[in-house]
Amino acid sequence: MWEFWIRSLNASTIFAIAGLGEVVGQRAGVMNVGVEGAMLFGATIGFIVAKTTGSYLLGFLAGIAIGALIGLLHAFFTITLHGDQVVNGMGIWILGFGLTTYIGSPYAGPLGMGRIPTIGGLSPFFFVALVLTFVIWFVLFKTHWGLKIRSVGENPTVAEVSGINVVRTRYWSVIFSGAMMGLAGAVYALDYNPVWSYNLLMGWGFIALALVFFSMWNPYILLSGAVLFGALWQVSLNPESFLPNIFSRYIWRTFPFVITIIILVIMSTHWFSSRWGAAKPEALGLPYEKD
Amino acid sequence: MTEIKQGDIVLQARGITKRYPGLVANDHIDFEIRAGEIHAILGENGAGKTTLMSILFGLTHPDEGEIYVFGKKVNFRSPLDAIDLGIGMVHQARKLISAHTVLENILLGHPHAGAILDMKKTAEEVKQLCDAYGYKIDLNAKVWHLSEGEKQMVEILKALYRGAKILIMDEPTSALAPPETEKLLETIQLMTKNELAIVPFITHKLPIVLSVSQRVTVLRRGKIVARLNTAEATEQSLAMEMIGREVLFNLKRPDVKIGKPILQVENVSIYDDKDYWAARNISFEVREGEIFGIAGVSGNGQQPLAEALAGLRKASAGRVLFQNEDITRLSSLKRWKKGIGYIPSEQRAVGSIGDFSLVENLLMSYYYDDLFVKWGLIDTKKIRQLAQELIKEYNVATPNPDVRARNLSGGNLQKMILARVFSRKPRLIIANLPTQGLDVGAMEFVQNKLLEEKKAGAGILLISEDLDEIMALSDRIAPMYEGEFMDILPGGSAQRETVGALMAGHKQKAVEV
Ligand SMILES: Nc1ncnc2c1ncn2[C@@H]1O[C@H](COP(=O)(O)OP(=O)(O)OP(=O)(O)O)[C@@H](O)[C@H]1O
Ligand SMILES: [Mg+2]
Repeated sequence: MWEFWIRSLNASTIFAIAGLGEVVGQRAGVMNVGVEGAMLFGATIGFIVAKTTGSYLLGFLAGIAIGALIGLLHAFFTITLHGDQVVNGMGIWILGFGLTTYIGSPYAGPLGMGRIPTIGGLSPFFFVALVLTFVIWFVLFKTHWGLKIRSVGENPTVAEVSGINVVRTRYWSVIFSGAMMGLAGAVYALDYNPVWSYNLLMGWGFIALALVFFSMWNPYILLSGAVLFGALWQVSLNPESFLPNIFSRYIWRTFPFVITIIILVIMSTHWFSSRWGAAKPEALGLPYEKD
Repeated sequence: MTEIKQGDIVLQARGITKRYPGLVANDHIDFEIRAGEIHAILGENGAGKTTLMSILFGLTHPDEGEIYVFGKKVNFRSPLDAIDLGIGMVHQARKLISAHTVLENILLGHPHAGAILDMKKTAEEVKQLCDAYGYKIDLNAKVWHLSEGEKQMVEILKALYRGAKILIMDEPTSALAPPETEKLLETIQLMTKNELAIVPFITHKLPIVLSVSQRVTVLRRGKIVARLNTAEATEQSLAMEMIGREVLFNLKRPDVKIGKPILQVENVSIYDDKDYWAARNISFEVREGEIFGIAGVSGNGQQPLAEALAGLRKASAGRVLFQNEDITRLSSLKRWKKGIGYIPSEQRAVGSIGDFSLVENLLMSYYYDDLFVKWGLIDTKKIRQLAQELIKEYNVATPNPDVRARNLSGGNLQKMILARVFSRKPRLIIANLPTQGLDVGAMEFVQNKLLEEKKAGAGILLISEDLDEIMALSDRIAPMYEGEFMDILPGGSAQRETVGALMAGHKQKAVEV
């Protein structure tokens, strides 16, 4: 049982870090559905850099940097060029999927470095995620910065006439958001499961994305959701140890995704939006055009 | 900065010019504002007021001209530059974030808000401002809970809290109930005592201009046509300057025989978007040749009611009959085809598509008409011709019918929407705030159009916040408050005060009067 929870928390760390990044971007009004793509970049580049330099630090930094770069790209297309956020996000996912497969293949296999020390099996990054959750919550709700971020996500026109630079605020939010996704990917490939293989993330980015909606854009709820999904993921990997002989393991494997879809469907109903809809950033997904 | 004294020039504009394709919105405008002065700017729709204001607030860049603030030449790159120099603005459409609290809205973008927000200190300071102006407002309330008047207070507080010395207000009274207007005027006068310069931009409500301002500047077609001391002006003379012709302030209500009921509403209840009751148990009927007026301040359920009657929102209970036929469940298109015309209050969001041309916008009421669409193909020539005729008839100021709707000024867009709806000769017209934002000339025009339709036997449901309009036009008046009709009064004999009190929710008072 202990083992199960440790594995769950380690998995939830990755959902949480990526999801927190997405929360910041969405709070600023920019959705990036390409979380998976940005994470693949972070994982692959982080893995390659760490493997060739032998330095974990450089690996993580590279993961963060490539994530930030992807964020910058997303910001440029959606904010400056007013591109559709969903379409561009899908583009990031496809690009990430294709390009990382291409660059990563020669490095397929284990990382071959000493494992990052754990605390009784628990990854130190779990604590990083805890701290990040608190910090992001604090910044969003207690600082002027956070107020600006939330304002450009709620109503950019109002923010503009209040003297906020909407474009700059959105840019930084999306870049930060990308950096977090890159970090999440690097944590996966360097710490959680330090082996590079084809499509190594198996859709975790999409789970992180769904968690953001589930969290109602609140970092604390997001963290709890991440833990829930971390556990769910472990159940789906070893269903026999919990509920033997009920479904085939392949059906179990789809569970986190089925639940993700169910959550997204519930979230889009009138029933839900009339009760909780107020939490959703009003300008989410809309390009801002100054007239 | 030296101390500002009463009468010092605080803002000066020289030769401000702004051109848009096909027209000059501001044509070499010179004017100045002094501390402690209320300087009203008047102008008909499309005269260029909003353009001028956006330039003074740094939202738009002028093509030519110079602006001096406190004697120094300035070049605004964004509103931030203007705000930093002490220019504040209260916008016509409220510019507040409704999901955030009053305090958060006031603090947003404040230069002295530290990295970590000190809500307690801000609350105390804002409280002092509130006390100074006699405002009672819950600073921790979410903005969407507030009434229109309270929202405007928040905008004023926000500007003052940022240290505004010059306050620009666009149509400051347009969305306010009569008591709220009184309160605003009181505040404005109090502010001038603190050497604030106030510049209200106004299209209609000339009496307000006369009652509070010291000076008036009148714009017409982008040029200044008159600079007056208010003491020398009269309502008639101002209207004359604004539109270049006389405006009759008395509408003549034609004698029309009221016919059969055309719309019957029976015990209708409606939910709003947040699943709260928006309107409860509403029953009334509109008859042929009758104008039924619903008087009320925005947000008391008129909008959901109008939407339900237009088929854009579900009525959760009750029945709606149109010419004795149950239309409760009919789609809006079917309702249009049966002869219902709808003028929505949100002209930019619902009434028009900003990126479409005027011709295309007109098509929205004609695409289902066989005369204009044959075998699924649009007869472009015909619709374009109709657009041109309507633009002429309704006097819409636009270089041509291919202009995008978003580039029309508020008043002109409203005229275009009216033209679209009226030209279909509806039997029932649901007019939600049809004269909102119109200048006196255009307002008179629209009201006369409504009366014409009435004469032609159409039933009209008129929803308005403007008590004068309701009193002048309606055959029967229903004051609406918090989703309910307070009463239904005969238009001819109802007292203005009674209706005003009822729409503010004072039931007892009505009995006393
Ligand atoms: N972005 C734009 N592109 C093209 N034309 C524009 C643009 N903005 C405004 N105009 C035109 O400039 C003129 C002045 O518009 P403005 O909004 O300043 O008028 P206004 O005096 O505020 O009128 P209203 O009382 O109707 O609001 C109008 O004819 C309008 O169509
Ligand atoms: Mg205007």
